[in-house]
Amino acid sequence: MIHNPQGAAWLVWLESSAVAVAMRQWLWLYPAVEVLHIAGIAALVGGAVMFDLRLLGVSRGLPVAALAAHLLTWSRVGLGLMAISGALMFTAHATEWAENPAFRVKMLLIIAAGLNAWAFHRWPFRSVARWDREVPTPPRARVAAVLSIALWLSVITCGRLLAYL
Amino acid sequence: MRYLYGALLAIALSTGPALAHHGWSGYDSGKTMNLTGTIREAGYEHPHGYVKLEVPGKTWFVVLAPPSRMENRGLQRDALTPGKSATVVGYPNRADPNELRAERITLDGKTTELR
Repeated sequence: MIHNPQGAAWLVWLESSAVAVAMRQWLWLYPAVEVLHIAGIAALVGGAVMFDLRLLGVSRGLPVAALAAHLLTWSRVGLGLMAISGALMFTAHATEWAENPAFRVKMLLIIAAGLNAWAFHRWPFRSVARWDREVPTPPRARVAAVLSIALWLSVITCGRLLAYL
Repeated sequence: MRYLYGALLAIALSTGPALAHHGWSGYDSGKTMNLTGTIREAGYEHPHGYVKLEVPGKTWFVVLAPPSRMENRGLQRDALTPGKSATVVGYPNRADPNELRAERITLDGKTTELR
């Protein structure tokens, strides 16, 4: 069996590693890692979007701070699962993925989504005690919520597209 | 955001077409091809197996099914050996003139459906 990746040295090294070979050759490893990746995005995007909908005014009776503590914890767990499973799938075809336009856009979108979440916690979320329940959320929090939904849906779109482009 | 999307679009457009072989929509099912040749290289690999099939005048990169599906249908890893003769029925990639996605493959007189 010949596998002869072409590209940057570190990508070739990654793609020639024992982990990458196992990912390509073991019968059920790749599909199992895909399952983890999907479970990860369900937790990550599910939690984030439920929280974003609350910021946009859905279910105003639910306290924002408590929802953040609950939902966003699971989003972080999901992010961890995605990073691990995503890195494993990346190694299997590192040189190919690195050249894939959908993959590059996906990585940038994830960075953008991360910055958006960071900015939300850094600014509007600081004053959550003033708009925790039954009052409209500040416009900046709503903007962050819309961006979050748009960015994560775009990440999912790129994730699917990279198998087709 | 406008700048962000502009930048993303620029990156997407600046990179050439990349190798990818998942969905069937990238293959022209209106042009069914029937090729018989010699396997020069084979991969029983995720996400899809492949053979490089040499036919007179050309070597095709033939995309097969995921190895778990091939095994399930009785096409074992050692059936794809370089030097062996193989017949594939499939469709050419719309963008890559050297790539074919196989609907079925015949090896040693045994046909395996791949879709």
